[in-house]
Amino acid sequence: MEAHTPVIGGGRSTLERSPLARLPDRILKWGLLGISAAVLVLIVYFFIRLIGQSTLAFNRFGVFGFVFHNRWVPSRLEFGAAAMVFGTVVTSAIALIIGVPVAVATALYLTELCPRRARGPLTILVDLLAAVPSVVYGLWGVYVLIPKLKPAEQWFADSFSFIPWVGGHVAGPSVFIAGLILAIMILPIVSAISREVISTVPAEHKEAALALGATRWEMIKMAILPYSRPGITGGAMLGLGRALGETIAVVLVIGDDPAIPHSIFGQGYSLAAVIAAEFGEGSNQSIYRSALLACGLVLFVLTLLVNGFARGYVLRGERKMFGGGSRWRRGGGGAGDEPAEAAIGV
Amino acid sequence: MLRSRISAILATAAAALGVAACGSSSNTTSSSTKSTTKVTSATINGAGSTLAAPIYMQWASNLNSQGLTVNYSPVGSGTGIADLESGTVDFAGSDPPLAAADIAVLKKKGTAVQFPLAFGAITVSYNLPGVPTGLKLNGKVIGDIFDGAVTKWNSPEITALNPGAKLPATAITVVHRSDSSGTTAGFTEFVAAYNPTFAKKIGTGKLVPWPNGEVGAAKNAGVAAAVKQTAGAIGYVEQAYALQNGFTYAAVANKAGKYILPSIANTSAAAVGLKVPSNLGLVAINSPNPAAYPIVSQTFIMTYQDPCKAGASSSAAKGVHDFLNYALTSGESELGQGSNQLPYAPLPADLIAKDKAQLATLTCNGAPL
Amino acid sequence: MTELPRISAGRRRKDKIMRGLLAAATGVALVPLVLIIYYLVYKGIGQWSGQLFTTDPNGNFLGYPGGIRSAILGTIEIVALATVIAVPLGIAVALYLVEYGKKSFYANVVRYFIDVMTGVPSIVFGLFIYIVLIVSHLGGNFTAWKGSVALALLMLPIVARSAEVVLNLVPGSLREAALALGAPRWRVITRVVLPTAASGLLTGSLLAIARGAGETAPLIFTVGSANGLAFNLSQQMNTLPTQIFTDITSPRNAIVARAWGAALTLVALVLILNLIARAAQRRSRLA
Repeated sequence: MEAHTPVIGGGRSTLERSPLARLPDRILKWGLLGISAAVLVLIVYFFIRLIGQSTLAFNRFGVFGFVFHNRWVPSRLEFGAAAMVFGTVVTSAIALIIGVPVAVATALYLTELCPRRARGPLTILVDLLAAVPSVVYGLWGVYVLIPKLKPAEQWFADSFSFIPWVGGHVAGPSVFIAGLILAIMILPIVSAISREVISTVPAEHKEAALALGATRWEMIKMAILPYSRPGITGGAMLGLGRALGETIAVVLVIGDDPAIPHSIFGQGYSLAAVIAAEFGEGSNQSIYRSALLACGLVLFVLTLLVNGFARGYVLRGERKMFGGGSRWRRGGGGAGDEPAEAAIGV
Repeated sequence: MLRSRISAILATAAAALGVAACGSSSNTTSSSTKSTTKVTSATINGAGSTLAAPIYMQWASNLNSQGLTVNYSPVGSGTGIADLESGTVDFAGSDPPLAAADIAVLKKKGTAVQFPLAFGAITVSYNLPGVPTGLKLNGKVIGDIFDGAVTKWNSPEITALNPGAKLPATAITVVHRSDSSGTTAGFTEFVAAYNPTFAKKIGTGKLVPWPNGEVGAAKNAGVAAAVKQTAGAIGYVEQAYALQNGFTYAAVANKAGKYILPSIANTSAAAVGLKVPSNLGLVAINSPNPAAYPIVSQTFIMTYQDPCKAGASSSAAKGVHDFLNYALTSGESELGQGSNQLPYAPLPADLIAKDKAQLATLTCNGAPL
Repeated sequence: MTELPRISAGRRRKDKIMRGLLAAATGVALVPLVLIIYYLVYKGIGQWSGQLFTTDPNGNFLGYPGGIRSAILGTIEIVALATVIAVPLGIAVALYLVEYGKKSFYANVVRYFIDVMTGVPSIVFGLFIYIVLIVSHLGGNFTAWKGSVALALLMLPIVARSAEVVLNLVPGSLREAALALGAPRWRVITRVVLPTAASGLLTGSLLAIARGAGETAPLIFTVGSANGLAFNLSQQMNTLPTQIFTDITSPRNAIVARAWGAALTLVALVLILNLIARAAQRRSRLA
């Protein structure tokens, strides 16, 4: 016997809903599509407006002239942002050099060596560093870190003054302190991603190493680190992206001096810091404002490049782990699977 | 269950904060203000001079309880004028009077008017443990210090003026304003009159090309903080900030050659016998009065004669009028050397009269306020 | 039976040293957190008083500088408006990606852009709003709602990403069961998917709120400054982060002390939101 669904007028089956009943679905689908399209359009629009506002400065000083010329004299309306680019790069480099090894070591400890009961609380504590607002880091940096570290910095500068970029009078606010605070700020991100990546190392690799007689450290060195390297690199680059754009903490501790310092203990500037510090000044003179917005554009492009690259790296690590299919193609998931991690920018 | 628990927590928190908000509205009005002038209920926004910021903030605090909200952002005279030009504020605070260029730009929206409201002494403050207030300096030496020609505290130029003082061999850390500042304008105008090298290298104005190696700080408060934190520092700050932080400052030689330590009395003396142009754009720097402190800066509030035509709402225009009215009646009595008063020199009576006359000409789209 | 060769003393020593180093590194990583919390409490708790929370900063030059009431209320208002904008929009984007877009090219583009947005420095969002809304004097000059828009831009990608993760965890079988029972698509979403994912969505939203409440850079170009209470969102308003930022550079000890009290308040607020969010995450039916 043939089973078939009853048919009503128009050849439609009764199970099929009327076009009118399907309308809410259509509205929902196109509404959601519209919202996501609007978000896309908004981002592109902002990017274009930012470029538009920066053209005045780029035309006056040339793109290369602006980025690589070290002459920031607002009273003469001459703007070359090399000192800011230098400061941004150097503080981020210090942040990476100090922060990434500590973050990876923390991740290794928490996933591999930590006693099980301590794992949860310690993980939460490390992640809590991400919850502290930037302005509080700045306050703590100005009134605790700078005065407390000044004697040690002066001792270091005096004892090792033969090394280039070290030596001279330590005033307090400096490029080094900014880098140090950035290191603390990127620690939770890099640590969280590293933990994710390390925890997805297949147990067989680890067990094989242990079975062959490796000590725990050797197991980490042989089985975990090579496997997680792309993912950890990606995490470090995400941390770099965060460090490049950090504004408030940096502007409070870097000394706000538009010059390339002679030592890491000297004052400098960063792209984000100059915008925050001089915006009130420059917002009403078109060339000054354009120069500041051009700094913002350079910063934006830098972070886009670094983040784009980083996500590629993290994906490459995931592809290795999950065998084909990127996060975007798979449709979500991957490193940063917890909502909590999404919130710290993973 | 978790959801209801969370909403309970959030509700309690909101309620607690709501109670705090509706709780006692307390404003510490100083006991010397008994303002009987009625003020309109409005919100006006201003920005500018940090030299005068303590005054405007105090007045705003007193007016708050009467319904007139005045938001004043101390961002420096240069930014204040620029904000007025771009229309982001209803009034600007500026120490230097309106320049021809400013008037021309503001002309696009209407005639600008300036009201001188007070005089403040710009001190040359220093942080030298062991050296008391009153170090003698003159314009030439100050200029040499600030343009980097003199680098140590015990150098001959300074010791020549202060034979008895025990000056250490520390390096001088010069602190200047990094933002566009009326205090800088007044200070550089004074120094340039006595030091031609400084006048040529650095010049005068709100934003000048200071030499490398000096510390730049934004706002009077920033310079004060920098001087406070660095031993061996020297910087120019308005007297109110110097007194607030217990700074030691210099006795500066005036035009008559006398070394004057800034006080309210000799700040007021600088206002005596001033030439007042018709648009009230007076300048008190380097007063010829032999009893006056030489680095006295005037400070203005600038707005449009017809704020409504310039784009402000009628309530904002009325608010500006009432604010200025309060300033010229009760406000001036809050300035002086009394322990309850702000350490600025108030306007002499004739200037107040001129200001009041100008205030009467303020209109909103032609109708008097 | 052959004996396994013993691990040499050298290797054992190296193992011990490296494990010690890793543990030490974790300790080092925790030192800043401990120091920050210690100093916040040490310098801030003394400032916590009735006066701090019930008076506004009064700009008085001498004497008591006022409390932080207007800052707290301003933060609450501005972040509330930002939440109202960002959370529905973020969940909407995530819904689209999970329910309709899935693996299409367009959906991947949207995902990529959302990822890009998470990496954008917060100051750039402030600049965007400055260029588009302040320079053009659209709707007034510095106003609180413009700051809310800037914060919403910052919070949107956080909400969207965490919502996408959570919505993906809703088992397909639930959706299919509802569909098989004849429910229209929109009913499935509103009656099955969203309620199931609710506590996860709440987690993501709370974390975005915590992030938004602590941000300063987007606000300094958009909200202007104010001392007194302002309830109208089209006026300039005070906020906790901007109040702290301004107070840090003051030469007055009383104001710097107030900054510590305000910082402790802000961190307490942010930490409470974070802890509630994590508790919600752990209790989620999907985890």
